Amino acid sequence: MKKDIVVALIGNPNSGKTSLFNELVGAHQKVGNWSGVTIEKFEGVVHYQDYVIHVIDLPGTYSLTAYSPEEVVARNYIIEEKPDVVIDVIDGGNIERNLYLTTQLMELGTNMIVALNMVDEVEKQKTTIDIKLLQKLLGSHIVPTSATKRRGLDTLLEHVVRVFRGQIVIDKNKLSYGEKIDGYLERLSDLMSGEPDLIAQYNPRWLAVKLLENDKLVYDLVRHYPVFIKVELALLQIIGDMNKRGADDIEGDLAEARDAFIRGAIRETVVFQKIKKITFSDRLDSILINRVLGLPIFLFIMWLTFQFTFTCAAPIMKWIHVLFNGLGILVSAIIVNDPLRSIIVDGVISGVGGVLVFLPQIVLLFMAISFLEGVGYMARAAFVVDKVMHLVGLHGKSFLPMMTGFGCSIPAIMATRTLKNKSDKLVTMMVIPFMSCSAKLPVHVLLIGVFFPKQIAGTVLFGVYLFGVLMAVITAKLLKTTVLKGASEPFVMELPPYRIPTLRSTFMQAKNKAGGYIRRAGTVILLASLIVWFASNYPQSSLTKNDKLLQLKNSYAGQIGQFIEPVIAPLGFDWRMGIALTTGLAAKEVVVSTLGTIYSLGESDDHSSDLANKLRSDPHFNIATGLSLLVFVLLYVPCLAAVAVFQRESKSWKWTTFYVAYTMTTAWVVSFIVYHLARMFLF
Amino acid sequence: MDMLSLKNGEYGQIIAVNAKGEIRRRLLDMGVVKGAPFLMIRKAPLGDPIEIRIKRFNLSLRREEAAQILVEKRSEPETNES
Repeated sequence: MKKDIVVALIGNPNSGKTSLFNELVGAHQKVGNWSGVTIEKFEGVVHYQDYVIHVIDLPGTYSLTAYSPEEVVARNYIIEEKPDVVIDVIDGGNIERNLYLTTQLMELGTNMIVALNMVDEVEKQKTTIDIKLLQKLLGSHIVPTSATKRRGLDTLLEHVVRVFRGQIVIDKNKLSYGEKIDGYLERLSDLMSGEPDLIAQYNPRWLAVKLLENDKLVYDLVRHYPVFIKVELALLQIIGDMNKRGADDIEGDLAEARDAFIRGAIRETVVFQKIKKITFSDRLDSILINRVLGLPIFLFIMWLTFQFTFTCAAPIMKWIHVLFNGLGILVSAIIVNDPLRSIIVDGVISGVGGVLVFLPQIVLLFMAISFLEGVGYMARAAFVVDKVMHLVGLHGKSFLPMMTGFGCSIPAIMATRTLKNKSDKLVTMMVIPFMSCSAKLPVHVLLIGVFFPKQIAGTVLFGVYLFGVLMAVITAKLLKTTVLKGASEPFVMELPPYRIPTLRSTFMQAKNKAGGYIRRAGTVILLASLIVWFASNYPQSSLTKNDKLLQLKNSYAGQIGQFIEPVIAPLGFDWRMGIALTTGLAAKEVVVSTLGTIYSLGESDDHSSDLANKLRSDPHFNIATGLSLLVFVLLYVPCLAAVAVFQRESKSWKWTTFYVAYTMTTAWVVSFIVYHLARMFLF
Repeated sequence: MDMLSLKNGEYGQIIAVNAKGEIRRRLLDMGVVKGAPFLMIRKAPLGDPIEIRIKRFNLSLRREEAAQILVEKRSEPETNES
């Protein structure tokens, strides 16, 4: 029988923790969610000797305060789930800052092993670290590792096993905060030690430190125990005592004491080679984010990302398209029963195809983003654009989900998870629909092709995208100054040194994200396309059987189109556009194929040039209608799958309703203005 | 003087962090504590935020926060520090 060991990985962002996790467990990992919050939870399993080691990758964090959900998740896991061993991953090249988290972990009183990661870089810089002495000072084993070079992984696992078995023990060391504060801490922890239930679960000294730091969660926790009365009294006395001495900044004092401890430990154990004043990263930064080139380079890298995504995805998407068309034809030939054939070919197969056709884009986009993140450029991008984002009340980090929105709203909404502040997150999610997604592109291309000469089509298309961005900016400003007021997340951000990420890490992240897309969006898109299929094919009657247009007009979708005609008539639309916009709720590119059916082209979407001709020759379809439709498709609610994902991420039906209502209203109002302006000036 | 008074390439030392609440906590957690030496590196292309080097890593923060950090100018620190 193999025995189980539960190991939690914790560490600063950019400490190589995720790479270490990926190298340890390889492909044997699953993604879930921490309960109650939308933070991804990665778990994996590695078999070592007679043990099954379960590795949990805790969210990257610099500290263990109660301010951010990541920190609360990480510390609650350690305190409440009590993993057998905690591995604190620290970046050996940045040991001083990384040890700050370690000092806090020391207080939790868990079995800790420090993985001194990126040790290859430490060696390259000719820094020497007295590991034995540092072990003693930290009261914890230290294993030098390098995830990217796959070094020290076995030793790390061996240490996990031996620490688990209790074979190797290092005396825990206590971090001193100075005589005065240590006295306070002792007093508080002595009081709490009188509460066996409390002590059985939590380290009293840690509780005492957190109480002095005025940590809300710990305060609420201790409050449930009878001893709280005494503790509160003691706290009041301590605060009074401190005020008397003029020491009113206990938070700062504690941080300084930790800092002093770390500096002392470093002085004793680490010898830095006289470092080169200018590192490789510095030199790269002096070009990439300098005052003149910073912005152009940022724009270029974004452009390159999209170019890469769309160019590489296009042929694969074509194959998928061909594959599913072929499958459709094959199945049509086999099944003779009409309704059954229709549901399988036009419903299921084209639905699944509709989901999968976007997969290459999503995978490639996430690969590009993971790569840029791994390299360290994403933080720079936030640095470069923060001013602009800040003007509309957002955080520099909001730009990444917004940019992803150009690909697809679904991963974009999922990417808002990096935003810790609720108002920042909601505002970003609200503006994502205006970043024109790739499914809207065929519609833009079709409509622009109808009314504009080829020479300026590209410029017009760019204008459409820019117009969407403008709407996003206005929306963000509007929301941030009204319903979603409130400070955004503090912008205190590390610019990590540039690194070359491992391929494996990049792939794993892209794979996990793509899996998320299929799980979240796949089912909804499939369901939506089945509904659209049903709505545009039923009810059937023998009269309309051979006339596709008549059939569509009489179908439920057609009835909806006619029903909403009075509402959309002021925008220059008739019932036919009504149908197209309704079916477009399943996915935007469906607008094109529906228009194809309406203009009786049969199986249509391959014939968009024919469709353009038909539209051009339709007297009811003039440039004002075209522009109005272009704007409406750009602005109205992205698709049902995006709405479903929005609901899941916001966890609020109220906001989801607002999301739909806001985009619909905006689309209507702006299209109305565009239509009437166009009629005034273009005729 | 506050942190913003330093020019690019100048060294300083933190005297006091006057920010409040979460921002203060973040700054402390990232090593912006009393006594810490740092180097002013640059301002972002649009002037805000700024980038400093502290505790052997690069940190960016906005001007409004930097304005609440009191510092004093220093000559170059010893090698084993910043």
